[in-house]
Amino acid sequence: MELTLKKRKKNTIIPGFTMTLGYTMLYLSIIVLLPLSMVFFNTFSMSWSEFWQTIAHPRAVASYKLSFGTALAAGVINVIFGTIIAWVLVRYQFPGKRIVDGLVDLPFALPTAVAGIALATLYSPNGWVGQFFDFKIAFTPLGIIIALTFIGLPFVVRTVQPVLQNLGSEIEEASASLGATRLQTFAKVIIPELLPAIITGFSLAFARSLGEYGSVVFIAGNMPMKTEITPLIIMTKLEQYDYVGATAIATVMLVASFILLLLINIIQWYTNRKFSLQ
Amino acid sequence: MSIQIQNVSRAFGTFQALKDISIDIESGELIALLGPSGSGKTTLLRILAGLEGLDEGAILFDGQNITNVSPKERGVGFVFQHYALFRHMTVFDNVAYGLKVRPRKTRPSKDEINKKVRDLLALVKLDNFADRYPAQLSGGQRQRVALARALAVEPKVLLLDEPFGALDAKVRKELRRWLRKLHNEFHVTSIFVTHDQEEALDVANRIIVMNNGKIEQVGTPEEVYEHPNSPFVYDFLGNVNLFRGRLHKGKLTQGQFEIDVPTYLDSHYEVVGYVRPHDIQIEKNQLNNESVAAKIVHIHMVGPVVQIELKREDVDEYLEAEIPKEHYKKLGIKNGDTVFIKPKQLKVFVPEDFSI
Amino acid sequence: MTKPLNVEHDSPSIAGHGATKSYAMQESMIVKWSLIAISLVFLALFLILPLVSIFVTALEKGWATYVASITDPDALAAIKLTLTVVLIVVPLNAIFGIVAAWAITKFSFKGKNVLITLIDLPFAVSPVIAGLVFILLFGAQGLFGEWLFQNDIKIVFALPGIVIATMFVTFPFVARELIPLMQMQGITEEEASISLGASGWKTFFLVTLPNIKWGLLYGLILCNARTIGEFGAVSVVSGHIRGMTNTMPLHIEILYNEYQFTAAFAVASLMSILAIITIIIKNFIEWKAKDE
Repeated sequence: MELTLKKRKKNTIIPGFTMTLGYTMLYLSIIVLLPLSMVFFNTFSMSWSEFWQTIAHPRAVASYKLSFGTALAAGVINVIFGTIIAWVLVRYQFPGKRIVDGLVDLPFALPTAVAGIALATLYSPNGWVGQFFDFKIAFTPLGIIIALTFIGLPFVVRTVQPVLQNLGSEIEEASASLGATRLQTFAKVIIPELLPAIITGFSLAFARSLGEYGSVVFIAGNMPMKTEITPLIIMTKLEQYDYVGATAIATVMLVASFILLLLINIIQWYTNRKFSLQ
Repeated sequence: MSIQIQNVSRAFGTFQALKDISIDIESGELIALLGPSGSGKTTLLRILAGLEGLDEGAILFDGQNITNVSPKERGVGFVFQHYALFRHMTVFDNVAYGLKVRPRKTRPSKDEINKKVRDLLALVKLDNFADRYPAQLSGGQRQRVALARALAVEPKVLLLDEPFGALDAKVRKELRRWLRKLHNEFHVTSIFVTHDQEEALDVANRIIVMNNGKIEQVGTPEEVYEHPNSPFVYDFLGNVNLFRGRLHKGKLTQGQFEIDVPTYLDSHYEVVGYVRPHDIQIEKNQLNNESVAAKIVHIHMVGPVVQIELKREDVDEYLEAEIPKEHYKKLGIKNGDTVFIKPKQLKVFVPEDFSI
Repeated sequence: MTKPLNVEHDSPSIAGHGATKSYAMQESMIVKWSLIAISLVFLALFLILPLVSIFVTALEKGWATYVASITDPDALAAIKLTLTVVLIVVPLNAIFGIVAAWAITKFSFKGKNVLITLIDLPFAVSPVIAGLVFILLFGAQGLFGEWLFQNDIKIVFALPGIVIATMFVTFPFVARELIPLMQMQGITEEEASISLGASGWKTFFLVTLPNIKWGLLYGLILCNARTIGEFGAVSVVSGHIRGMTNTMPLHIEILYNEYQFTAAFAVASLMSILAIITIIIKNFIEWKAKDE
């Protein structure tokens, strides 16, 4: 051990390796790793049937479907409109552009509870927007989708925007010089270039949406089997002091999140590799 | 300050960057570490500066072992390849940095630092640029700031990593001349790394040619250029023509071609003779069997030397010759002519001893 | 030097993107303005309208009610608690971010990518779960619950619990900004500093810190915004004790659930102002960093 440390030290003259890495690992372990491991630790204390009964309870299953479905829908909406907004912000000049650009970050900066009560009020049946529709938006899955669209928008815009900015004009010009129409260039040249960024942005927004709580609880209505998202089930179980049940559901969510995280990393790794080959 | 490098080895993982390197450098020398990329020259320079550790061996400054001395106590000035200027500091602050960070006891007064930096900026002809930021300077100017910064701490050794690598050809030549002048004024032991043979030949008093983590040859520019001791050095320093043939009783034969090489008396089936382009003699008529017929493929005539590309008629090989313009005019040859060539000086290497 | 050197010959030139647009990159005016219109309508519906509605609802019943709502003792207690949490969490995570970025970018070691992924982990975890794990650790039935109870230490349903859950959620913000930035900057400036005789600390404060100051500030701003606004995790561990463990977002929730909409939106409007300030500072930093 001493030998390897000594050797390591010789590789660089920059000081502080042992200290900084040690501190990083310690802090990471105390704040993140140890607490997170509690979820799995507590799950193992349950019997399999007990665990299965909790996570496969119809109410829980309905919440998975709802959380997954609404996150997916919001993600798709954000991919479409987020890409258009990124395009408009990069390519066009129009009055107030700087303000619009800054505003995209609002969901990052605005507390989720604030967004939640604002959206719930706006889209409730007698709200500013809700009154124009003869069907309910707030307190239905539609309301959840709206809250999740709000939360996820900057993820897509902010990942697509820089890629679009760095996209050289040559490839578009080359496409045009070879006789492609603007629409063909867009579909065959630009979109494929943007695709990795779009997928990354979608995954980030989707991951965030799966776990989102603050902005959703106010607009969702929280009806069991209908508009109850998975994080809310955990919350309800905690309020009933059902720690075991809460932990079981949390395990399902964590596993889903980790798989998603893995997917994002694979996409990024794949994209980097693809580009470094050039 | 004199430097002794004793049996230094260094590996990065499985890659052996330096293999048992030993060199003595005398005080006041201007040394070029010359070699292709991956030859270990930069690693050696960084080890001298203390930026990199070594696995085995020792470094002595003036007879004192400084192998385990930290870089800041070595009294070394290091000029980084891409200058590593502090981008958020002005030119003045960059140069003053080494003086300002000294502990209070040894730190010069503010006025002294001021004067010293002004003097150095005058020396590198950047007096008017003191308040600029590195981003506002040209490459050549950045290079000179990096030099002034290294000189500010009054190093006993100046180490430069590819000092001219990132500059364009014209600026490079000027800075080369200027570095030599600077060295003549200060006489500080200086070592610079380069992969450009012309640069090494032009600037250094002594050249250390490195390849694959080993030293190939050490000598004055004239020695290494005129008397390379290995095919690698021959190849790396300047153009060279290869004659692959058989060696027997002091004669090298290839095709219809026979050259006397009286210094090589043993026999080998496969040897390579090395001839510099300017050592190839061109005649219009055949003198004896030591010359061979070749057809002129291309004549490149810019400057005082004429470069001639030839294709031998006996074997399918191309040659390059260089002759003075006057001689060329006297010969009166043109593209497509057949002439007779003969190596004036030829060095033979046996491939078993050297791999190319 | 015999000849003056050309100052401009390799100074960096930044070509403005979008400024030089060739004919091949232009759409018809109809397409262009339709896309702009779609974007603006979408943003108005999802971002601008909610923001405006917050201020309108907050001021619906007049200025006096507004002032009364935000000077209510419970509201003031919530503001004070939120500030306390910010003052503890943001510096701690900033120090962690700097230290972690130093370890990751200035040295090479095995498992670096795993470490980076682990630092990012809290981004992938639902805030509710972030709260849950600390209940499992420090709650009455938790791993350390018994011990904490015997020694009369309160973590869950008290300030320490709120702090640590917020730390978990905002853990990656600073590190995430600094790691790519410092990776790009490399280590040669630090090497130059040390070879010129500076100590490690001097090198950090004189060379590294000035180089990363905008990135650091950027991370701090984002970390700060999230710390102020964190709801889910805090909601789990706080216990909602009014005037004691209610942060601003929790206070808003209680007011809203009690149908005190004006008061809820009044406090919400305060937080929205903070959010707008955050965005302005963020843009200022981006502009400043680009400038350098």
